[in-house]
Amino acid sequence: MPLVDRVLIPRQQGVPVPFSAVWWYLGGLLLAAIVAWLLSWARTWTLAWVSERIAATLRIRTYAHLQSLSLDFFSAKRTGDLMTRVGNDTDRINLFLSVNVITFFSDVLLVVLTALVLVTLNPLLAVVTLVPFPLVVWLVYTVRVKLRRGFSRASIAWADMTSVLADTIPGIRVVKAFAQEHREIERFTMANTRVLEANDRVNVTWSFFGPLVSLFTECGTLVVWAAGAWLVFGGTVTVGGLTAFLAYIARFYVRVESMIHMVPATQRAAASAQRIFDILDCQPTVADPLHPVPLGRVRGRIELSGVHFRYGTREVLHGVDLTIEPGEMVGLVGTSGSGKSTLANLVCRFYDPTSGSIRIDGVDLRNVSVEEYRSNLGCVLQEPFLFFGTIAENIAYGCPDASSTRIVAAARAAGAHEFILSLPAAYDSRIGERGGSLSGGERQRLSIARALLVDPRILILDEATSSVDVETEATIQAAIDHLVTGRTTIAIAHRLSTLRRADRIIVLQDGRIVESGGHDALLARGGVYSRLHRAQNKDAAGPTPVS
Amino acid sequence: MTPPHTPSQAASGFDSCRLEQTIHGRLQFTGTDGVTHGNVDIIRAFPISAPHAAVSILSADGTELAWIEPLEAAPESLRATVERELASRDFLPVIERIESISAGEPTGWSVVTDRGRRRFTVAHADDILRATDDSVMVTDTDGVRYHIPSLAKLPVCERHLIDRAM
Repeated sequence: MPLVDRVLIPRQQGVPVPFSAVWWYLGGLLLAAIVAWLLSWARTWTLAWVSERIAATLRIRTYAHLQSLSLDFFSAKRTGDLMTRVGNDTDRINLFLSVNVITFFSDVLLVVLTALVLVTLNPLLAVVTLVPFPLVVWLVYTVRVKLRRGFSRASIAWADMTSVLADTIPGIRVVKAFAQEHREIERFTMANTRVLEANDRVNVTWSFFGPLVSLFTECGTLVVWAAGAWLVFGGTVTVGGLTAFLAYIARFYVRVESMIHMVPATQRAAASAQRIFDILDCQPTVADPLHPVPLGRVRGRIELSGVHFRYGTREVLHGVDLTIEPGEMVGLVGTSGSGKSTLANLVCRFYDPTSGSIRIDGVDLRNVSVEEYRSNLGCVLQEPFLFFGTIAENIAYGCPDASSTRIVAAARAAGAHEFILSLPAAYDSRIGERGGSLSGGERQRLSIARALLVDPRILILDEATSSVDVETEATIQAAIDHLVTGRTTIAIAHRLSTLRRADRIIVLQDGRIVESGGHDALLARGGVYSRLHRAQNKDAAGPTPVS
Repeated sequence: MTPPHTPSQAASGFDSCRLEQTIHGRLQFTGTDGVTHGNVDIIRAFPISAPHAAVSILSADGTELAWIEPLEAAPESLRATVERELASRDFLPVIERIESISAGEPTGWSVVTDRGRRRFTVAHADDILRATDDSVMVTDTDGVRYHIPSLAKLPVCERHLIDRAM
């Protein structure tokens, strides 16, 4: 404007203005452009740096909090949903912080500064400029809630779609074995359609709202034109003054529109933040006490006194009393649903009893640090879970700093050493996700080696041999015999033959201990154990041949 | 023969063991019990992360006959035979220069090794393993391994190529 008002127009009107004045003004504009570029670069880089760190911290805190939550939380949530919250939702917040926040603040600053210029140029026209504002504010208020709900629904739909992937990709063998590829494609298509529909709903709202705001600002410009023309006709404002005012008002409305276009980004980030804080607000049901009793390395005496436990409204343990001496091996048997695994889960402190208590070496489990207690525990489960990585990394999972000598010793004791040496890169061989490249027996021996390496005082064997064939079971049983020596062991087994080394067998039925004793004594009693034993022998013998 | 399990046993337990190459080029091992096993195999326990840490001597049916940890603790004659055998078997070209690595997956590598120029394909980023000592082991789709002794010593542009492939 100064170039026009002070150089070009005066020159046109015959005032002798030297051409060097043009260079001065252009030089000033170039300098301003370079400064603006430098500031813009600094702003973008700083904001990207800060927002990446905020998002990374949020991801770590969310993931760390997830790790602290108890098993019941994970039982109630879908893997895909949790992955979406930790991944996508934090990324949306990052995007909002890195792109939208600074734009919003620079827009606010420019709107205020432009408004000041407008008021300076012509206060009356400046007031007229604000005519469409009440409508715009009302519109933003109305659409904000709709957008937030829409984005929240879209996030949930996205999480559902991810959950389908998290279900089917690890279970691809089952999908293929049952030739259900088309069904899974259909399931994914339905989930994808729900994402599409949720996004469409948001787009319908936004596509109506965005252009409507533009319409209001266009109308605002027309009102200013009308008021300006009236003032020019009245001689209060010059044409040049009106032109300058209209140039500023165009900038003013562009910034206002830019601010309003941030509404969906804000609402999307708000919906994502809510989903993340839903996790952060969850408290672990099995929590550390404020002042934990130091436990150290336990001897391994376990006492259950009047232990009751319920899942929701269904009570599955009804007052269990049981004492296991250090180094004793106790077998838990019973029909499915009798409470064996629940009892083992309580001893692992995956859950706390609804009432009653569990004491380790005389200390109530609720009074000790969960982490310290679990460092005394080792678990071998029916389905050994192996992580993507090398054989050595998997064996050393509970003890990452273990030397190669200790890793080999554990593998040797678990009967895994020789099969490991037969792999292409021996202990450095990478096993696929969940150990997919190994047989069930090999995976189980690795999980036994993993348990051996941490040298636990208390050992939980949950159907450790039930998913392997009889020959492999014999190999694993030898490894287990090695593993249980000198440790308090609770072994759950359907195959009663695997409990031959147990010092005592506890028979559970409907959440109560109904029998207890040695194998021979229980058989002689002719009770539940005897019936289970007979049933298994009958199954093993197979149907009577018909001649 | 019960294989020695600890380094101290390994150091002292192999004095009477013999590992020899037969006239047919095969290996035979005589243990502390005096029993000779023909056609034995020598396996590195940690071929990537610690190639010289431990070695196992296996019989033809895969039964472990001896465990040598560390290899340096074994008697000179045994160690020399083991090292010679492993060296003759190990084909581990050292990558001296990376000319190009294609984008996407699988990646096509064009490199110059100490055995000459090579082009190979790496199926997955997981086949490029970075060890704690800054070395990198790359395994191609044919199972051939290539070694980069130090990532830091590569030129920046070659490091960028590897970073992208990893």
